[in-house]
Parts: sequence; C-alpha cells; structure tokens
Amino acid sequence: MSTLMNQARTRVPRFAPRFAEAAVERARLTVVPRASGRRAARVPFMLLVSVLLIGGVAGLLLINTTMQQVSFHQTALEDRASVLAAQQQSLDMQLDQLRDPQHLATRARKLGMIPPADPAFIQLGTGDVLGVPTAAVPDGSFRIDPLPTKKPRLLDPKPIVEKAPVTTDGAAASSGGAAGGRKNGSATDRTGATAGTMTGRATTQQQGSQR
Amino acid sequence: MTQGRRPTRAGRRPSPASAVKAPRRRRRLSLRTRSLTRLRVGFLLIAMIVSVFAARLFQLQGVDASAYVAKAKAEGVVSVTLPATRGSITDRNGTPLADSVDGLMLVADPTVTTKHASQIATVVAHRLKLDYFDVLARLQKPDTHFQYVARRVPSTTARAIVATLDKHQWKGIATRRDPVRSYPSKDVGANLVGFMNDAGQPSEGAELMFNDLLAGKDGHTSYEVGGGNQIPLGDSSTVEPRSGHDLRLTVDRDVQWYTQRVLRSAVQDSGGSSGSAVVMDTQTGELLALADYPTYDANQPGLSKQSDLGSRALRDVYEPGSVEKVLTSSALIDAGKVTPDTKITVPPTLKRQDRVIHDYFVHPTIHLTLTGVIAKSSNIGTVLAASQFDHEELYDYLRDFGLGQSTDLGVSGEAAGDLPDWHQWSQINQDTIAFGQGVAVTTVQMAAAVNTVANGGVYVSPSLFEGRVKTVTGQVVGSGTSTEHRVISKRAAKLTAGMMEAVTNPEAGTAGVAGIDGYRVAGKTGTAQRVGTKCGCYNGTFTTSFAGFAPADKPRFTVYVVVQAPTNGGGGGSIGGPAFHKIMSYVLQKYAVPPTGTKAPTPKIDW
Repeated sequence: MSTLMNQARTRVPRFAPRFAEAAVERARLTVVPRASGRRAARVPFMLLVSVLLIGGVAGLLLINTTMQQVSFHQTALEDRASVLAAQQQSLDMQLDQLRDPQHLATRARKLGMIPPADPAFIQLGTGDVLGVPTAAVPDGSFRIDPLPTKKPRLLDPKPIVEKAPVTTDGAAASSGGAAGGRKNGSATDRTGATAGTMTGRATTQQQGSQR
Repeated sequence: MTQGRRPTRAGRRPSPASAVKAPRRRRRLSLRTRSLTRLRVGFLLIAMIVSVFAARLFQLQGVDASAYVAKAKAEGVVSVTLPATRGSITDRNGTPLADSVDGLMLVADPTVTTKHASQIATVVAHRLKLDYFDVLARLQKPDTHFQYVARRVPSTTARAIVATLDKHQWKGIATRRDPVRSYPSKDVGANLVGFMNDAGQPSEGAELMFNDLLAGKDGHTSYEVGGGNQIPLGDSSTVEPRSGHDLRLTVDRDVQWYTQRVLRSAVQDSGGSSGSAVVMDTQTGELLALADYPTYDANQPGLSKQSDLGSRALRDVYEPGSVEKVLTSSALIDAGKVTPDTKITVPPTLKRQDRVIHDYFVHPTIHLTLTGVIAKSSNIGTVLAASQFDHEELYDYLRDFGLGQSTDLGVSGEAAGDLPDWHQWSQINQDTIAFGQGVAVTTVQMAAAVNTVANGGVYVSPSLFEGRVKTVTGQVVGSGTSTEHRVISKRAAKLTAGMMEAVTNPEAGTAGVAGIDGYRVAGKTGTAQRVGTKCGCYNGTFTTSFAGFAPADKPRFTVYVVVQAPTNGGGGGSIGGPAFHKIMSYVLQKYAVPPTGTKAPTPKIDW
C-alpha cells in the first residue's frame, strides 16, 4: 500500500517542470480517503466465506463419517448375510441327510420294514388290484449296510480249540483231564496251552495204560 | 518490483534541485532499500524452501513412484482371489450328487495375529487337524497383512473357530468365501460322478470329463483396508467370479442307490470279485442306474483302491456268455432262418473242427425247439442254429447291436469291447461268438444290445447325461445326441421276447427266480468262462450275468446284472436272477408300471 503511494508521489515530479509546481504540490496532498462504507461491507463477505468454509469442512467430515459408518454397517450386514447363508446351507444339508435313501432305508429297517418282493397296484377308481400281491419276506431282501470290515489276522486270531480227552477209565487220567479242564476254563491262552500239554500227557498215559 | 526500482532511481537524479527535501528523501530511501533487501532475502528463502519441496516432490512422484506404490500396496491393499462356485452334478430329478457347499477360508493379518499367535495356532490346528507349527509360521509372517491359514473349511467349523477366538479377544483372523465340494450321497453314483482331489483338482468321472463346464471362472478383488474394514473411496477393483454350469445325469439317485445295494449283496453273497448293474429306460436309452461294486465314497476317495475309483461297467470288458444267444437268435429270426418253434436235435456234445462244444448241463440227445434252446441255454443248439449264418451275416448283426463300438457316454476310459473282424473268423470263432465266448463287451454295451430286442428291434444309443454336453476332449455327448437305428424287425423282436419269457418260466427256464408275480418278464442268463488277468487265459472262474426286460409285451426297463468270478458255484440264474428280480421289481413299482394284464403263453420247448 505504501509503495503505491510512493509511486504516486514520485511519478508526479516527472511532469513538474512543464506544469505549475504548486499545483503539483497540491495535487500530491490530495489523499482521497477510503469510503468507510466499503470497509463495512467486508464483514458479511467474510462471514459468507467462513460459513462456506466451515460448512464445507463440516459437511465433508459428516460425509466421511457417514461413509465410514455405512462401511461398518455393510461389513456387519455382509457378515450377517453369510452367517444366515451358512445356516441355511447346513439346514439344507441336514435335510439332504434325512432324505438320503440310505438313511431312510436304515430307519425303515429299524421299524421292521422290507421291500416288497413283487409289486402290485390298486386302481383307485375301480378298486381293481393289478399284479399279484405278495407278502414281503426277509429272504427276498438285501443288505443295506456293508459287511463289517474284516479284522487283520493279528487282531482276530482263530479260537484255540482244545479237545477234552476221552475219559473211559483210569482215575489218574480222568483227574488229569478234569484239572486240565478247570485250568482251561479259568485262565488265559497261555495257561490254556499248558493245560493242553497236561491233558496231552494225560492222554498219552491213558493210551499207555490201554496198551 | 523492478518497475518500482527504476522510478526510484529516476527520482534520485532530480533530487539536488530541491535541496531542502533531500535528507528526508535519503532517509526514506534507506528505509525503502532496507525493506527491499528484507523482501529479497525473504523471497530467496521461500524460493529455496519451495525448490527443496519441488525436488522432493519430483523424487517421490517421478523417480521412486513405483517403489512407493508397491510399498503402499503392501501396507494397506488386500488382493484376494474370489473362487468361482463349481456347478453341481445332479441326478435326473435335480437331487445333488456333487454340490458346492459354502465353505470358508481362514485368513490372518499377521501384523495383528503375531501377538497371540501361539494361542490362535493351538485352537486352529486342533480344530482343523492342521500342523501347529505351520499355522504358527503363517500367523507370525512379517511384513504382510494377508496370509491363508486354512482353505475349504466347512462354514460352521470356520465360524465356530472365529467365535472362540473372538471370545478370548485374539484378533486378526477373518473368514472369506471358499466353496467346498461335497458329495451328499457318498458312494451312490460315485463311480459316475468322480471326485475332486485334495488339491482341488478334478479326478475321475464327470468331474474330470466336464471340468470346463463345471469349473466357472475365478474372480479377484483388491481393496484398501483399515482396521479390518474396507476404506470407502479407497482404491478397489473387483472382477466377479463366474459360476460354473450344472450337469445333470440321467441317473435317478434312488434307483442308483437301490441297484448299488442289491448289487453289493449279490457280489458279496456269491463271493464274487466285482460286479456291475445297469438299469436302462427302454425307449430313450437313458441309464437310470449304472452301479459298480466295489466302489468308493466320493468324500473319502483315499480310503479305496485306485482300481475301484472308476466305473467297471464302462472300463472292463468280459465275455458275455449266454446272454449273447438273445442277439444271435433274434438275428436268425430276423433273417428268416428260424422261428421260435424251429426243431433242433441237440446231441450231448458237438465236435467242431478240433474242439468239442458242451452244454453246461449233461444230457442225452434231446429234441428242443429254438425256444427250448434259449430257455435251457443250450450252447450246442445255438451253434447248430447259427451255422445257417455265414460269418459276415452274424458279424453285421452283432455290429448293429453295438458290439465292438464304444458307447460314447462321456466317461473317460470307456472301453470299446472287442468283436473280431469276420475276415479273421474260422468256423469255431463263429460258433463260440454265437453263444458269447470269444467276443468282449462292456456292461453298458450288452445292456444296450439286449435293449434293442426290448425296444421292438430298434437300437437306441445309451446316454448318461441329460441334454447335449461337451466333454473336455471336445466330444458332445448326452441324451440330446442319442441316435437310433433298426437292427431287427419288430416281429423278430417280439418273437425273441417271447422266447426270453420262457427263461423266467419256473418250469421251463433256467431262471424262474427272476420272474415277477403278475408280470411278464423276459430275460436271459449268462455264465461265461472268464479270462483271468494274470494268465490271460480261461482260469476256471466265471462271469455270471442276467439281462432282461419287463413287461415283456410292453417293455419299460431293461436291467442287466453282471457278477464277476463268483466262488459259490452259482450261475447266471442263481446269482444274477434274484438281483435282477429285486431291481426290476423296484423300478416297476417306483415308476408305477402296472402289469399289462396279459398272460405269457406256455412255452413250447421240446418236441
């Protein structure tokens, strides 16, 4: 501002020699005061600008916040939707399991039901029977479950069979056999085996005596 | 500014003229100079600072831009593959046999999970039976916001895990969509459907052959995240996944289940090594069931042997035996060489070239009609009747019945069977082929051939898939591509069906058990010498089978049961017959096919 005034002042002397210096001096003195009205008009303008500025910032903030909130809401709703979808799907799967022919057949078997051997129909209109109604018999049925898996030989050993000696006569032989029998019944395989040898010996004795 | 300076200098020149004002001016001037200097220094400073900024800006935006973009991406951008939902495989009624279930994947943000990594890993590894240390390593991986922890987890399990973690406030694990393949019917139709292996790749069956159709196309998405939520207005791009198409089989799940269970019982009770059974819609050629035993659970294919994972009914070939007599005799009738009442004298044995042909039952010279030959399943009688054909005639008929040609159902590894070219036949070849030895077929081929007789002499190509579908090999298959051609006359078919009825006649035939009370059932037993896999020769085992259709005078279904290598000494009648009876009774009842009400004529089997 001051530079502008300086310029105004300094520019004037250029023409000073040509025109009356007094007039120039006078002219220099004339400082036109700024109209007070103009200064006053600035306030509403500033107000407007600041309102716009604050409003803009606030609005932007508001929009941002809302969008954030919407984003949270969206995430929450998406989660809910997928939970519900999963729920529906697991219910569907339950339904499928209930509808499964294997499941139905198992349930039916538990109730003692078996498939009919020969189909026959009743004509509802006339009451006629088509086909030969035949009683369903278990023989005509089939297994719905797989056979139990065979155990490995190691886990399913053949039962050890010990033949009791023929006790016709001889007190020693019969007592030996009886002892063997007792041991057999009361103990594990190993004692059974010893019992076996014992009975075996008893038999030899018996054979010996018979000879 | 420069403009302002010049007038100042100009003003200085005239200054001596007015000496009075000179000191004031000088003072003013020095003041002005000082402020100017200050301004200049200020501007210079500002310019320097701004140019530093500009240089930095240039460095950031121009020179290192890509590095920073990459860094920024690593910071907050998440990119995920969106797996496409695989199309389901359903039976003819839309019941799913293979389905994509909404599974979830567990993903971790290691920057968050590192804090409670060991606790989270314990829970996750325990629940999902994963390796603890592997999970731990993923949870602690530095410099990343995204790690897969587990894929294809059933959604209920995944949610339970997340709920547990939430309860303990162990954060950083999230879930995302990841479809899981499930086979709700387990072993039912597994031989046809196939399965997806652990790596998520299709193996076997329709899953493999129609992968292009079923797979769909994966999508992908990338977006910026902050605190687990997508940043609104942040960079994001999404390519939606495209779901795969569904595939529909012609198989009915219930019929398939029933057939599989009956077949399993039949194979196990007879001590057989394997078996297959086919139920075919007579008119359309659609397969309502195609059962194999042993088979596998599609959910746990790893528990079964590799050789059980496919369909034996389509891959394995065998000699059909006496069921073939149906084809031979119907061809003979069609050619006008014989009638069902043609009288044939059957000697106890028949010497042909260097070989002697026997019947399975010991008999003196008997007098049978052609019907009797079929009913009693006499090899000798069939050979004598078939000798009216020359090689080419028989070959052409059998070829028309579909023997020696792939059925092209759309299953990988489908066998074409083996019908030797007639040029290479000698008389003994023709003789044995006439009763079903020396020719190899698949179960479906033979079923389709017998079905020709059921369908009034018109061969309908069998189909396993609905509509027209394209396999990965580019072949178009399905019921929409089914073709028909006439093989024998309607009359010949009818007469043959009549002869086949004698087979299920309790007094006259070899398979009274196959008959269904109240219905007219046509059938044929088969007991063939079987070639062992080890020696490639007849090893004393047999292939027993039974093929038939009902109602005989208006056929709806053709059923064919094959049991390989039974050890209980049974034949086609005693092993295949009862199984046929059960399956046929079931489909007749299920599809509400009432008896036709006519009575089967008493067969005239001898003279």
